[in-house]
Amino acid sequence: MKFYLLPSNKILDFIQGLSRKGPVYYSQLRDGNTHLVRFDPDKDFLPEFKGIRTAENIKHFFLPSRSTVARYPDDEKISAPHQVLFGVKSCDLRGVDVYDRIFLKWEPIDPLYKARRENTIIISADCPEPADTCFCNLVGINPYAEATADLNFTEIESGLLFETFTKKGEEIIKQFQDLFTEPDKGDEKERQMIRRSAVQKLRAINEKQFRAGLAQAVEQVDEEKVRQARDECVECLSCLFSCPTCYCFLLADYKKGKNIERVRVWDGCYYSGYARVGGGMNPRPKFDERFWNRFLCKFTYFYQYEEIYACTGCGRCNSGCMAKIDIREILWQL
Amino acid sequence: MAVINPYYPIPTKIKEIIPETPSITTFVLDGRPIDFSAGQFAELTVPGVGEAPFTPSSSPYAEDLEFTIMKVGRVTSALFELKPGDSIGVRGPFGKPYPLDAFKKKEIFIVGGGVGFAPLRSLFLALVHNIKHYKKIYIRYGARTPQDIVYKKLIPEWQKIDKVDILLTVDRGDDSWKGKVGVITVILDEIPVNVNSAPTIVCGPPLMMKFVTQRLVEAGFKDEHIYLSMEKNMSCGIGKCNHCRVGKFYVCKDGPVLTWKDIKDIEEPFI
Ligand SMILES: Cc1cc2nc3c(=O)[nH]c(=O)nc-3n(C[C@H](O)[C@H](O)[C@H](O)COP(=O)(O)OP(=O)(O)OC[C@H]3O[C@@H](n4cnc5c(N)ncnc54)[C@H](O)[C@@H]3O)c2cc1C
Ligand code: SF4
Ligand code: SF4
Ligand code: FES
Repeated sequence: MKFYLLPSNKILDFIQGLSRKGPVYYSQLRDGNTHLVRFDPDKDFLPEFKGIRTAENIKHFFLPSRSTVARYPDDEKISAPHQVLFGVKSCDLRGVDVYDRIFLKWEPIDPLYKARRENTIIISADCPEPADTCFCNLVGINPYAEATADLNFTEIESGLLFETFTKKGEEIIKQFQDLFTEPDKGDEKERQMIRRSAVQKLRAINEKQFRAGLAQAVEQVDEEKVRQARDECVECLSCLFSCPTCYCFLLADYKKGKNIERVRVWDGCYYSGYARVGGGMNPRPKFDERFWNRFLCKFTYFYQYEEIYACTGCGRCNSGCMAKIDIREILWQL
Repeated sequence: MAVINPYYPIPTKIKEIIPETPSITTFVLDGRPIDFSAGQFAELTVPGVGEAPFTPSSSPYAEDLEFTIMKVGRVTSALFELKPGDSIGVRGPFGKPYPLDAFKKKEIFIVGGGVGFAPLRSLFLALVHNIKHYKKIYIRYGARTPQDIVYKKLIPEWQKIDKVDILLTVDRGDDSWKGKVGVITVILDEIPVNVNSAPTIVCGPPLMMKFVTQRLVEAGFKDEHIYLSMEKNMSCGIGKCNHCRVGKFYVCKDGPVLTWKDIKDIEEPFI
């Protein structure tokens, strides 16, 4: 494997260079959480790469909460922004991977997602300090990137230690080669230690694995367990809208001048009208059924299609839940 | 090659409007904005109002595209306000066609209820187009009252076609009605086909689907030969938005027709 070292005093130059192509969103600490904040040369540069995934959902960048997918009758072209995401965590890469499968691998492909995805450069960062809400290790993910990003880096003493995963990533390294130096064996060793320690921390946070045959157990759950699991839920839907793998949407049409905009808006399967059909029949009239649909979607059906869970272990649903429902506890109970 | 935007509705004019029943109307579109095979469906857009999924009721070989639609809510009500010459949008075709090759040399048993005759008419016309390939076509159709029967003018013509056998029933008759009275299962007491080999194709309202399927299973049709149209909430039509899922199936992509074998383990699959 080839590594490239970006010395600490060159990080700003790198980000500045990247920002010439389009906005760069880099991870910053604010009010105790990390956020992907747009780089602004006139503002202080305050990167924070050690913290866990951002508070916000990464899916905003690929599938915004509202985005135009067509205009008619005049078929105007819809453009996709060029953007760089800098400091994305491994769990969120799994989120992108899940979306890639749905929107790029499953026929027919979604040209709007494709355009956004192609115009986005993803630069991920190792995750040395997992939090109590994290459980990427329970869904088969390491706290560092192994694919999906264009570039990944580990923050070490002397700077950021990069590796490339894609052609796009290699081209960036080439373009900015003057900023990078050759790392030494000690740097690689340091990376190994950081990774090993992160994995150990995650094991300590989540000692218990999910049961074998989880997909089947979720499908065969008994009603009483579902009732208990959802008992405290206030149906705020925060777990759905903060989740990087929830992908449900609706198409809604709005008049705009002479043309009409077809807008894709996020939807959520906890809404009572979500699956209702013309005439008023509803396949999931009871909240228990809708509550469990989320689990079936992520742990049974997606697993049946792709042999990975549509859950990244990011823990956003746990940290955002008003009723303090922890998805791990529910899955451990099965 | 230009990338086709699957969310773009192709503007198409309404050519003719044919009232079928007090609540069901056939919309004939001008030409064929999309091609389709029997069983596939399309999303129709009423400009500025929105979309809903419908299956063409015309023959896949016909020049114009037709839809037979029941007025039930927001989009369909807006559609019923339109006049010949008005423009709508069409996206599709979506979903899988009926496996007509597998029906060859067989008796085909078609059961419909209410507006469920729409997709079945398209299937029927596709079969008739190549009638030499099939042994015989049976249609069993039920409506609430004689007034609610769709394609009233066409059915007598179809009855004259060789190798076609059509029986109708209405839940409630009137003075003019000379045919059978009773729910659809009254014309399913006698099943004149070889249930070991014949495919049976069903489309209708949820409760009708449930009872008819029960009856067909009881009559001995093979689970994998019972083809059922699934009405689910749909938005994208291309397996992305997740609305139409029933069990592990995306009805818009794996359906809209699934077999009883596919769905029999799902609790209340038709609702
Ligand atoms: C594959 C397929 C083929 C079909 N073919 C035909 C056909 O050939 N002919 C035919 O007549 N019908 C057909 N249908 C049924 C047809 O699609 C429905 O009747 C149609 O969608 C009704 O639309 P509507 O807006 O008029 O009804 P509405 O009842 O107003 O709305 C139906 C849709 O809007 C949503 N909705 C409405 N109000 C609310 C609310 N308050 N809260 C949340 N959601 C709401 C529902 O979730 C539902 O998706 C088909 C359906 C499918 C799936
Ligand atoms: S889930 Fe894993 S990768 Fe994501 S923030 Fe937590 S430790 Fe990092
Ligand atoms: S279900 Fe919860 S932990 Fe899993 S990906 Fe969604 S928000 Fe993250
Ligand atoms: S209608 Fe969107 S997934 Fe089937």
